[in-house]
Amino acid sequence: MPIRYTVPVYALGLAARWLHLASSVLLVGSAAMIVLAGRSDRATAQRWEQRVLASAWVWALVALASGVVVVGVQTALFEARAEAAFEPQALGRMLLETQAGHVWLVRAGLLAVLTAFLCLRVSVERRADWRAARGETVLLAVAALLPLAAAGHAAAVEPDTARAIASDGLHVLAAGIWVGGLLPLARLLTAASTEAGADARPYAVLAARRFSRAALAMLVLLVATGTGLAIIHVGSVAGLVGTSYGRLLLTKLALLVLALAFAALNRAVLLARLGGDGPTVGRPAMRRLSGFVLVEVVLALAILVIVAAMNVTPPARHEPPAWPFAFRLSLAALEGRAAEATRALIGSQIGVIGLVALIAALAMRAWRLPLGAVALAALGAGAGLALPPLMIDAYPTTYLRPSVPYQAGAIVAGAALYQASCAGCHGPRGAGDGPDGRGLPRTPADLRAPHTAQHTAGDLFWWISHGIPGSGMPGFGSRLSEDQRWELINYLRALSAGYAARTMGPAIERDRRWLVAPDFSFAVGPTPPRALKDYRGRTVLVVLYALPGARARMSQLAEREGTLAMLGVEVIAVPIDADPDAIRRLGPDPRVMFPVVTEGAETIVAAYRLFAVAPHVELLVDRQGYIRSIARGAGEAGDLEALAAQVRLLNEEKIAAETAPDEHVH
Amino acid sequence: MRAWKAVLLIDLALLVGVGWGYAFWGLREGRLERELAEARAAATSGIERRWVVEGVVRAIFPELGVIVLTHGDIPGYMPAMTMGFRVASPKIQEAVSVGDEVRFTLQGVVPNVAVTTIEKIK
Repeated sequence: MPIRYTVPVYALGLAARWLHLASSVLLVGSAAMIVLAGRSDRATAQRWEQRVLASAWVWALVALASGVVVVGVQTALFEARAEAAFEPQALGRMLLETQAGHVWLVRAGLLAVLTAFLCLRVSVERRADWRAARGETVLLAVAALLPLAAAGHAAAVEPDTARAIASDGLHVLAAGIWVGGLLPLARLLTAASTEAGADARPYAVLAARRFSRAALAMLVLLVATGTGLAIIHVGSVAGLVGTSYGRLLLTKLALLVLALAFAALNRAVLLARLGGDGPTVGRPAMRRLSGFVLVEVVLALAILVIVAAMNVTPPARHEPPAWPFAFRLSLAALEGRAAEATRALIGSQIGVIGLVALIAALAMRAWRLPLGAVALAALGAGAGLALPPLMIDAYPTTYLRPSVPYQAGAIVAGAALYQASCAGCHGPRGAGDGPDGRGLPRTPADLRAPHTAQHTAGDLFWWISHGIPGSGMPGFGSRLSEDQRWELINYLRALSAGYAARTMGPAIERDRRWLVAPDFSFAVGPTPPRALKDYRGRTVLVVLYALPGARARMSQLAEREGTLAMLGVEVIAVPIDADPDAIRRLGPDPRVMFPVVTEGAETIVAAYRLFAVAPHVELLVDRQGYIRSIARGAGEAGDLEALAAQVRLLNEEKIAAETAPDEHVH
Repeated sequence: MRAWKAVLLIDLALLVGVGWGYAFWGLREGRLERELAEARAAATSGIERRWVVEGVVRAIFPELGVIVLTHGDIPGYMPAMTMGFRVASPKIQEAVSVGDEVRFTLQGVVPNVAVTTIEKIK
């Protein structure tokens, strides 16, 4: 019976994961809470300690059992067969041959040791023995919980896998101590608030105070590691609001805020009242606190449901986000609009004043009310002023990543699609001057215009797919496949980049990288194909030449190839006529050793002609893959010293990894 | 039994277990890697090897007995590149000219290899 992620399988996997998470966390929290509360000689406190230890034993067993179910479901999904969950060989493969399997084995082993240890009847009469025994419980519970991080999404993060796993481990540990400690605390408070439990009341107050301090530290750790993990797994606002993983995270945060509101109330109001006696302090406060702590427990368990769901949901970074709003905010909206820019600037400064007032309100108890009102007013006014000018229309596909990379092949395919479907209105060269465009409600857009900074590739994808209502632009969603639409967008991006490139000359501009060299693949004779991308880290001179006009220049380049090589320049020669016999035509004298493209030249020339049209073109591509200079000529021998000087300038530039261009347009 | 003794025993057992497991796997991995490196070295040193590779003739130096070829991957020796090779006999250079797509045999004890046969494929 084949198995897929159907609803029952999903529900079973989710339930088992939740049970496992909750019991593992409660195990750590129970063990930690006992150590936090400390040893006591009061009968009620000792009874409480025994009950918590007994339930810890139950949690360990539940964690083991639910872990087995999780592994079974995982195996069935790996093998795509339901029966695999019950086959020793399949389970063996899962446990012994995958990293997740190893992690589960180690954790199961530690849980088994812990279960056995909790059964052990050891004497804890002396202080040293008590510390050793309870400390060991914490140690084993934490050791069994931590490796969970190495079997989850964090283990698949590239690069910095170790850092992601460490953050995840700390996050889980902090959650364990905070969330898991709540239930034993509630039980202690309940026990101590009864008539019979009066002897343990001072002990309970002390425990609650210590737990409160520890929980605050854990909360700081949770927020710090959680922020790091959110950046790793979600990474963008679009991922947060536009993917199921991101929305689960938002739900989790909402529940967390609710739980924190209760925690703050408990800490600020009830904890302070525990000490004294009287009608509203002491026992009633303790009883109310235990009730509120139980509410926190329920919220925490609900958060763990979300966490279990996030464990089986691909992280937002790997999912195409669907933008849920009709607008987005971008600084690009201010380009060339001075009045709006001023307005946004003033608004942002009022917002900063509001922020300062907010911080002051939090810090100064006496002035809290007026300062808070000022803060709210300033923040509201600032947002009202600054945000509207930043708004740009957005669509569900706005942040979609192209499925087709920015390559010469895609550009050429897009150009053909453009001529067939778009040129009629937008004109053969994209100037918006096609014959069919006359008489449309709105003049077709000039696609070469540099306004594209305001529009993402995803915006273009939406317009091409669905058209623009009221303008005459039809939708092509049913006529062009998704890949074809992305090819078209790659062509449009190359078209507008090429239009901007007409001002680029043979001299480079220092540290100005804006023209991405579309990747291309080529072959020299029967050798395996290579790509321009393979040359990243070296400077490349792409030479589009035609014989016999460029004979003199090609001879010069061939003779001086050694000089260029010493400067770190690789030459790739592309015959404009795409002659498969190009190497023979260049002849034996002078000897040409650099790659001369015999396969793929046609595509390269068609795409790169968008950047420069001349009988002979030389494009200097820097180490990161940006076109930095374009020399147009007829192929006459030129000044190689001038070229070398440009390359030296490029070599002097500092390059940072983050300035490498994206493989996709955006 | 006193609790601290039990705890000490368990921790020791865990440590020994982890240490033994790490040593076992670590040593095994190290041994496998060493064996692989030795096997690789044995395969390429002192033994005559032979490859048949495709490429393009880029230049000929008759006076040096060298032919420059843009060639594909030579497994276990070098990746695809443009490079000069010694020829076993002058006839090999005379049989081809610049721009010819060829299939050639590279033979010898690394790094002392030479082109022993060559034929045009187009």
